[in-house]
Amino acid sequence: MRITCPLCGERDRREFYYKGAALVRPAEGADLDAWHEYVNLRENPAGPLDELWYHEMGCNSWLKVTRDTATHEILAVQLASEAGLGGEK
Amino acid sequence: MRFSGWRVLREGLTGNKGWRPHWRDPEPKSEYDVVIIGGGGHGLATAYYLAKEHGITNVAVLEKGYLGGGNVGRNTTIVRANYYLPGNSEFYSHSLRLWEGMEQDLNYNAMMSQRGIINLFHNDGQRDAAVRRGNSIVNQGDDAEILSREQVRELAPFLNFENNRFPIMGGLMQRRAGTARHDAVAWGFARGADMRGVDLIQNCEVTGIDVENGKVVGVQTARGPIRAKKVALAAAGRSGQVAAMAGLTLPIESHVLQAFVSEGLKPIVDHVITFAEGHLYISQSDKGGLVFGSYLDFYSSYAARGNLPMAEHTMESFVAMVPAVSKARLLRSWGGIMDMTPDGSPIIDHSPIDGLYLNCGWCYGGFKATPGSGSVYAHLIATDRPHGAATRFKLDRFRSGVGLMDEEGAGAQHNLH
Amino acid sequence: MAELIAKSPCDGLLPATIGGMSLTEEHPGAMWAIAPFNGQLKVLGKALEAAHGMAFPAPNRATGKAGSRAVWFGRDMALLMGPAPDAGLAKHAALTDQSDAWAVVRLEGQGAEDVLARLVPVDLRPQVFKRGHTARTELKHMMASVTRTGPQSFQIMVFRSMAKTLVHDLKTAMEAVAARG
Repeated sequence: MRITCPLCGERDRREFYYKGAALVRPAEGADLDAWHEYVNLRENPAGPLDELWYHEMGCNSWLKVTRDTATHEILAVQLASEAGLGGEK
Repeated sequence: MRFSGWRVLREGLTGNKGWRPHWRDPEPKSEYDVVIIGGGGHGLATAYYLAKEHGITNVAVLEKGYLGGGNVGRNTTIVRANYYLPGNSEFYSHSLRLWEGMEQDLNYNAMMSQRGIINLFHNDGQRDAAVRRGNSIVNQGDDAEILSREQVRELAPFLNFENNRFPIMGGLMQRRAGTARHDAVAWGFARGADMRGVDLIQNCEVTGIDVENGKVVGVQTARGPIRAKKVALAAAGRSGQVAAMAGLTLPIESHVLQAFVSEGLKPIVDHVITFAEGHLYISQSDKGGLVFGSYLDFYSSYAARGNLPMAEHTMESFVAMVPAVSKARLLRSWGGIMDMTPDGSPIIDHSPIDGLYLNCGWCYGGFKATPGSGSVYAHLIATDRPHGAATRFKLDRFRSGVGLMDEEGAGAQHNLH
Repeated sequence: MAELIAKSPCDGLLPATIGGMSLTEEHPGAMWAIAPFNGQLKVLGKALEAAHGMAFPAPNRATGKAGSRAVWFGRDMALLMGPAPDAGLAKHAALTDQSDAWAVVRLEGQGAEDVLARLVPVDLRPQVFKRGHTARTELKHMMASVTRTGPQSFQIMVFRSMAKTLVHDLKTAMEAVAARG
């Protein structure tokens, strides 16, 4: 499995750390259900999934990677900072 | 058809012509009292205990592929009851006791081998944790003992005792732990359930779950609709997809865990041994193959195969622990799909839908739980009350944060358990 | 007061010559991480050019020359090697002294790419990875920076605490490549 980092180019899976599904972080003060959904619940599809990967051994960017969990094919990669996942701009 | 030494002798003398299939291949009926989704170890064990313990025999087990073709056939066959936290502790203790009587109960040879497990420790902190865990295991009524470095050396002289980075200080041993032949476990429960009237229906993928007014009424399948008073999930890594058919989202991510087998070697590893620094576990099958595995690949996957970096890590750990295996050839490897929860412990509970039951989230500890899971799940389905050994496997613990069982202390990230 | 003895990270470990390849320790002088503040990249580039005569490197590139180099060092960061940064740069970037934090070695000679191919999961062949190209990657599980400094030479950096492992892994790979003849 190789991921094309927007900065470094195509790199081996071993350079990356995996966080999990790329979910929009609830706003401050969101209720328990919103946090439960964010922290625990997962669509867990067998198919394309938006995920957060960290280029730990490379440029240290967090990436939003769209990957097919049934085939491991990488479908799209972008910097997480440009993916609109919430938090401070 | 009962198995016995006499039967084997007679068949041997008469050309082995008297053996019959171990279970029927029935057409699905239009309605059952209980439909179990998933014909793996847990689903088959559940059907068996429903019939045996609760007299509920109008039951169908629906399997997408063939019986035992999922995780029960894709694991490293380890059986143990060395958990620490309340909830897990009594459950795995219950499960191990069922393992011990299972072959006689089923009249089926599952090659249950209580060869003992040794969890090595390599530093003071790990030793203290092992002592604490050992005390907890003894408190739950099971066996545990701390082995000194010399006692470990006596049992497993092939380990690397000269490794400066991972010195072996001793081990936590549970002698009643061991291995069982994984396929035979599924087959034994399948045969036992079938003999009591349960319909085992293969090549029967569930495509929908019918819910009316908040109550489950049946399932849609590749072989037509089936009505059911109760529907019980036992779909392991595919739990997310099956639950979605009922409109549920589970606290589960499916991850790939690789396992490996070496070429057949002469008997060398007499126990199950785990290496704490690399999270490696090894045993030797009766055919001589070294069976081993380590971490998840850490990314979500349904591909049932992993990637090379984790294979490399696993081999490196093995060679660090047992340098002699660097000369062994790897025979094969595979991946299983693990239903990972945010606290690393399973869910056996009612779902929010009346008559729909959940049994999922086994992370990578499902095999050892097989009889225990079947027995407590059958109890829940039959009585609508949790079994005494499984009162804490609640679905709502994740939302409330009360009663989480995080053995690793890793926090709410599915793949870290 | 005690007299501290300065030791370079690979002191006593290098140099080594194996199969026509040499592995030597580099002593680059000062090393400072330069991380431009938000929106300051262009201004910083000009200031760096004016003060040190080199551009702020684009991703995967190094600028300058031996003795005074800026190596791309990750997202929004470069490592200035050689001179201490001009104080004026601090207006546009966070400057962090890392002078003694890295082990820096130079691998040179026929077969250097083959040695690195055993350790680094990035294509470093000359037609792809040219002089002035750099990569943040891993070298046998260690976070590393690899820069091509010549037709057959590379600058390789890992954290100072890993110097001994770096030398061990490189020498092992050099021996293996050399043994193939």
